Amino acid sequence: MSEESKRRLSRRKFVALTGGALAASSLLAACGDPTTAPTTTTASSATTSATKVATTATSTGFNSGFKVTSDPITLSIWADDTGMAPWYQKVTAEYTKLHPNVKFDVQAFAVRDFETKIAAAIPSDTAADIMQSGAFRKYVEAGLLPKNPDSVTKMVADPTIFPKELTDTLVFNNNYYGMPFYQGRHAIYYNKDYFAAAGLSTPPATMDDLTTYAQKLVKVDGGNMTVSGLSLRLAGAGSGIAEKFMMYLYPNGGNILEKTSEGKYHNGYNNDAGVKTLKMYIDMLYKNKTDDPKIKHDTEAFQLGATAMYARESNVVGDTANKKPDLKYSTAPMPKGVRWGDLSSPIGLIVSRSTKNTDTAWDFIMFSQQEQYLNLLLTDIGWIPQRQDYAFTEALKLRPQLAAFTFKDPNYKLFTAPAIGSFDEIETKLADRLSKAYLDSSLLNNDAGIKKVLEDAAKETDDILKKANLYG
Amino acid sequence: MARSFSSRKEGPAHLGGSTLQRQKLLFVFVGLTPILLIYGVVRIWPIIRTFSLSLFDSDLVKPEAKFVGFQNYTDLLSDDSFKTAFINTSLFALGTVVASLTLGLALALILTQFIRRSGIYQLVYFLPFVMPIVPVAIVWRWIYDPSYGLLNLFLSWFGIPKQAFLLYPETGLWAIVAMNVWKVVGYNMVILIVGIRNIPLLYSEAAAIDGAGRFGVLRYITVPLLKPVILFVLVVTTIGAYNVFTSVYVMTQSTTASGNDIKILVGEIVLNGFRYSKMGYASSEAVILFVVVMLLTLIQFRFVRSDT
Amino acid sequence: MSMLEFKKVKPDSLGTFGRNTQFRRELWWRIPLHLILIIGAGLMLLPFFWMFATSFKPPTEVVAWPPNFIPENPTLGNYGKVFELMPFARYFFNSLVITLTCMGTICLTSSLAGYIFAIFKFPGINIIFIIILATAIVPFETYMIPLYLLMKEFKAIDTYQGLMAPNLIMSFGIFFMRQNYIAFLPEELLDAARIDGAGEWKIYWRIVLPLSSSALAALAIYAFISVWGAFIWPLLITNSSDMKTVELALAGFQTAYTVEYGPLMAGSVICLLPILIIFILLRRQIIESVAITGMK
Repeated sequence: MSEESKRRLSRRKFVALTGGALAASSLLAACGDPTTAPTTTTASSATTSATKVATTATSTGFNSGFKVTSDPITLSIWADDTGMAPWYQKVTAEYTKLHPNVKFDVQAFAVRDFETKIAAAIPSDTAADIMQSGAFRKYVEAGLLPKNPDSVTKMVADPTIFPKELTDTLVFNNNYYGMPFYQGRHAIYYNKDYFAAAGLSTPPATMDDLTTYAQKLVKVDGGNMTVSGLSLRLAGAGSGIAEKFMMYLYPNGGNILEKTSEGKYHNGYNNDAGVKTLKMYIDMLYKNKTDDPKIKHDTEAFQLGATAMYARESNVVGDTANKKPDLKYSTAPMPKGVRWGDLSSPIGLIVSRSTKNTDTAWDFIMFSQQEQYLNLLLTDIGWIPQRQDYAFTEALKLRPQLAAFTFKDPNYKLFTAPAIGSFDEIETKLADRLSKAYLDSSLLNNDAGIKKVLEDAAKETDDILKKANLYG
Repeated sequence: MARSFSSRKEGPAHLGGSTLQRQKLLFVFVGLTPILLIYGVVRIWPIIRTFSLSLFDSDLVKPEAKFVGFQNYTDLLSDDSFKTAFINTSLFALGTVVASLTLGLALALILTQFIRRSGIYQLVYFLPFVMPIVPVAIVWRWIYDPSYGLLNLFLSWFGIPKQAFLLYPETGLWAIVAMNVWKVVGYNMVILIVGIRNIPLLYSEAAAIDGAGRFGVLRYITVPLLKPVILFVLVVTTIGAYNVFTSVYVMTQSTTASGNDIKILVGEIVLNGFRYSKMGYASSEAVILFVVVMLLTLIQFRFVRSDT
Repeated sequence: MSMLEFKKVKPDSLGTFGRNTQFRRELWWRIPLHLILIIGAGLMLLPFFWMFATSFKPPTEVVAWPPNFIPENPTLGNYGKVFELMPFARYFFNSLVITLTCMGTICLTSSLAGYIFAIFKFPGINIIFIIILATAIVPFETYMIPLYLLMKEFKAIDTYQGLMAPNLIMSFGIFFMRQNYIAFLPEELLDAARIDGAGEWKIYWRIVLPLSSSALAALAIYAFISVWGAFIWPLLITNSSDMKTVELALAGFQTAYTVEYGPLMAGSVICLLPILIIFILLRRQIIESVAITGMK
């Protein structure tokens, strides 16, 4: 019988093979951890000198009031921007010097992947200890994220530290949720060489300038557009198209949603401002021909010299410093229309309700918001911190292009997307309609057609609001 | 488990009909139970739960928050995105099926009827089928790139200006169909080759003697006799095409994609379920998708059966 | 009627040439056909070639227009970057562990269940088979959330078990093996073994499994492809970076604005390599066995 079972074993060679592979691999997995892991900041070299550093650091330095655990723990961090990984590596390494028992596992995702991931993880309490995103609202409204500890709230609610326009988006039922971190701020990027060649010495200041400048800057070679005058956002992933539309809609006097006094909303673009903005897009594409759907767009185009100007967030400054350090470009605040302002998309940090180390997590968040790390954020990544009580002089000196993003003027208003959970759906569905309209050349000189597009979209927007009991 | 059964010593004398039957039953039971258990847990149960969610108005905290009956299904009727997605997916399936079947059949006929050493061709044409979709879709996205894409290079040789294939939903859909055909044509070809090889020579020889030319044989003998195999290919390709997601996502919807959003059913399901947290609604879309594909499959199976 | 004929196909008949050669002797037919086939083959291979070539290009050449097919200044820098940017070796290892294990379980469960569904006729057994087949047409994306919640109950989030769970059994594999057994397993052999007193398990291990080694090889690579290429499930179920897979890591090369094609292509080549190797090693079994599913 034993002989038989032996033979049977040999018959099961392929099973044994994979089984063996598994056994061997789990063994390896168990002991083979110290493979170099740049994204995981388990800095083993840091630990050796850490005790020494820790004493000096605590004596001179940082105290948030939170009680940091003395147990060896690993805090996990998920960020919704792949570009943020280097910043977290540096800051978590500094924190580990201070608290050698606290290690980090940082993961930075593409924003869509991040959204998919938290949609599964937050409701089932399997999310990271600390998360960075601009899309927490629906989880807050569903009661799945904890409100801030009192000391954090005190800081967040202080209008001298953070702009009130931005912290207002964190309020739900009179409680604050999350720590304001950075913001997506916009400016016009322009290629200095192309401007000089076109005889333009100043950046566009008004919405009308955008059109006239673009006509001067566009380059066509044998019927093919080689450089677009103003690169518009015509395609790409979901809501971005509507967000960029909103940036030009605002100076024209419109918005995606208008808030009524009693905290209800309705669409803000089925009006003259909306028509004017969509008309601007259509004219640029099919009348003035300063942009063409078929050519490269956005940052890729700008870095390759395939567009003369475009509007984008500040982190392109960091990206360009890494990829195209020789590009001669500058930035200017968003142009003026009947009103003047810039859209801010605030990104926050929050501690999950499932974490076992709430206090340490908050301590790290407070730690990470110190001036030197926010300076680092500006110079290395290029995101604009929401904190306004620091001057960031160093960073601005190093990266002068960032000045347009921190530009302050009493008339230059900061506006945000309304803090409601269904805004993402509204924006994505509007983006869908806009991207179709941009490709429809029959809208040229066709005000009725443009109005129809906006009317249909507005109806959809209002229907979503009605369903969420937010229409009014 | 295995030991207790295989080591049981039973002489032929004991192999009465009922004993054998009982042994077989025991084998089936013991063999199938763990498999069905695992299958039930990782597949059947999640699917049942998904389908049952379609009757609820789900929210993030409690998926079964509010029973709404068939409300989600009636809402689907007035949902333009769903309609577009449904049409697009059907067009995608139609395009893929027609093109990959025609090309696969042509290849199979050429390789069996006209070419001697077809092994290397079979290998090359089959290769794309075994490759993981994400890297493959990324490469194809680049081939279609409006500024640096290979396809535009080829077109430029004929003096055709650069095109943005993925930008317009109309061309984008067909561009992805082309990629999908590239990926599955080898599979269809291999199956059809075997089908052709198994047509008894008798028929074609008889036809040849009767004076049918080469193409006459193909037209009246080979292709009609292949019908059951063709229908099998139809079923497999249709199922695959209706479930398309990753390639479309990578090529048009991911953050850096230069293309415009092409709505497809699974994409809509993911969008509604994950981004808008409307799990119930997304589930009703999943049920519709299931029913449609199931019906198409049953119809096709019907054909196979009545033909054999 | 040709359906019936299929039963008698021998796998080796595939690679060989049919016998009614009098039709096909003429050389003049073959030259243009070969030309067409070679062009077609070139198109089939072009994306792979492009991927391979780009993975050796320095950044400036990646965006050159018109593009170079052969890199002018070939560099290994992209591969270096892949390993420098992330613990790619670790991810590769994770992918390998998961894929090989699932490959094993898929082969085992598919052959056992396929054998049972093919040979044993008990009431209800066909219904079970049809249910399994029907679930194959439900896209994974639609039921992954309930599965995720279940994995949470089993405490399998961020574990190899969790990563493997949806891929332990493959309905297509069961279908595939069933077709194979119906086509090739001589029932007389089984009956003879039974008369000799062999138990059912012994028959399965000693007769059925060895007879289906070629089909299992083909199934193995299918299993490998589908598990290796999974993206969205690993994205959901892994929480720590140590558990990431190659496909997930590839996504990391796409930053918010631009795609770093060089490293991305290098990563893709690394990702495709194991499958390419297995495919070349097992090409014959794969192509032959694929054909068999088409028969029933």
